[in-house]
Amino acid sequence: MIYSEPKFLPGGDRFVLIEFGNEMNLELNFMAQGLATAIVEQKTKGIIETAPCFASLLVHYDPDQISFKELQKEMMALIRALGPSDDIVLDSRLFYLPTMYRDPWTRACVEDYCNKITKKELDPEFIARINGLADADQLVRVHSGTEYWVASLGFWPGLPFMMALDPRCVITAPKYNPPRTWTPQGTVGMGGASTAIYPVATPGGYQIFGRTPVPIWDTEKRFPVFHDSIVLFRAGDRVKFVPIGKEEFDFIDAKVKEGTYVYNVVEYQKFSVRNYKAWVNILDRSKRF
Amino acid sequence: MIEVIKPGLETSIQDYPGRIGYWAQGFPPSGPMDSWSFRLANLLVGNPGEAAGLECQFVGPTLKFHAARVLAICGADMKPTLDGKSVPMWESIAIAAGQTLALSFAALGARAYIAVAGGIDTPPWLGSRSTFHKAGVGGMEGHALKAGQAVPVGKGEGKPGRKVKPESRPTLATDRVWTVEVVPGPNDDWIDDAGHERFLFSDWKLSSKSDRTGFRLEGPQWTFTDKATNKAPEHGSEPSNIIDQGYPVGAINLCGQTPIILVNDGPSMGGFINPYTVPSAAFWKLGQAKPAEILRFKSVSVEEAQALRGKIDDICSESSVI
Repeated sequence: MIYSEPKFLPGGDRFVLIEFGNEMNLELNFMAQGLATAIVEQKTKGIIETAPCFASLLVHYDPDQISFKELQKEMMALIRALGPSDDIVLDSRLFYLPTMYRDPWTRACVEDYCNKITKKELDPEFIARINGLADADQLVRVHSGTEYWVASLGFWPGLPFMMALDPRCVITAPKYNPPRTWTPQGTVGMGGASTAIYPVATPGGYQIFGRTPVPIWDTEKRFPVFHDSIVLFRAGDRVKFVPIGKEEFDFIDAKVKEGTYVYNVVEYQKFSVRNYKAWVNILDRSKRF
Repeated sequence: MIEVIKPGLETSIQDYPGRIGYWAQGFPPSGPMDSWSFRLANLLVGNPGEAAGLECQFVGPTLKFHAARVLAICGADMKPTLDGKSVPMWESIAIAAGQTLALSFAALGARAYIAVAGGIDTPPWLGSRSTFHKAGVGGMEGHALKAGQAVPVGKGEGKPGRKVKPESRPTLATDRVWTVEVVPGPNDDWIDDAGHERFLFSDWKLSSKSDRTGFRLEGPQWTFTDKATNKAPEHGSEPSNIIDQGYPVGAINLCGQTPIILVNDGPSMGGFINPYTVPSAAFWKLGQAKPAEILRFKSVSVEEAQALRGKIDDICSESSVI
């Protein structure tokens, strides 16, 4: 549900979690990002930084400058001024991300898990089956058939948590239990209704079925897109996975290694919640790609 | 320049308050775990409290100084010696070129802090020199010190013989028991009354599987309210699962039945509840607690936690130096 009034949940002496509701719903994330944007624009005194997540916004504040009570008052004023979420318009870049679905690396990773930890159905086939898709080929069509909304970054620096914007492409998957001990860098996977990309090789719990050769973080700033931040994405960006084959993967991988890869980013668009909702309302959700 | 002869168990460059402003990208603050001792060490040598220094964990390093320097050691007692002779802590001392400083096992406390006049001068990364081991950034090449490394030091002249007033020093527990303040929330309403009582009135053993990312605690079972056990499947299958949310630094993060205190290098978000949060004023106790020692938790309000923080900030000033 979406709460009629957001909840202010204290996190010690310098954090507060502002919870807008308790479900996975794009609307709640729009509200969290709308508030984060308003805080930056209003330069609210005493706020050090914010971090949006699916249904909430974490606020880090300086108690020497603003008390918990004052903070609640200021935040409520900003939330009221935001109005209905329909009015929220956010800067939103679109990234085209070449991705090899059903690639040999994630397959080897899943097979390694089956051999060493516990047997399981291969991830693409498993997700297709539990979502009522014909086969793993349809999983690729459905998963790559939508833009993804970057709801938040976290768990690992630069790791994006994304939600499908096209309701016809919404699929879900349970997490691994127990988790994997390793995941290849650039792996694309999902858990719950969220899709993520692993910035580096780390343990993980998402079902995995693809890999991008394009780095999503770069501590050495070798590419101009990392000039302002070593992390590729920020909340409110959109990502479109572009299916590629092995040859294209190797070609891009080589370009990345020699430092000549050109990131494909569209930077002129804004995301209007009203326009988005109007579009969603005319879709026939019973049909998949 | 300081030459690392022996690195110690995990000696890392940290500054205060660390790498702030990147939580939304997933970067933790890092920084010293006991910032009370850390700031006092800096003040003794004439640095701002924020300047980069060394955090030494459990076993300290052996360091050779290639130029004369003033330094100070605060925090855990690692029996520091200079060319084999004992030197005082909580006091600035002069070191001649060529002398060797050695710290050994922490006899009391867990983390000692070495501040050098002028501060450690490694290149800042995202605005901070603090080491974030997990991602290999900050500090010396992104990790704890290694033997043979040359640690650069900035320009600065300190005065030897400056001491921290005894009453301004943190009192390290000698009985291996620490009383740590906690503020209820953000997700305290997921735990039932019996669960809260068990948390607040039980001894919690600090697990050896703890590091600067998280402090694991061993203790009794948790029990939950209806909110945790009767919820939409998108929260996850365990009672302690919740739709991914931002984590406050200091959150007591309940992974299944294991509470993990998310400390300086911890994750910024995830899908577990945080029934309590350790406020910044109690972090020095976490920094000085050794594995297998006991933590007991004391519930305080947001305002009380903020008042405690103010008190420590006041202590970390020139007024504490004689």
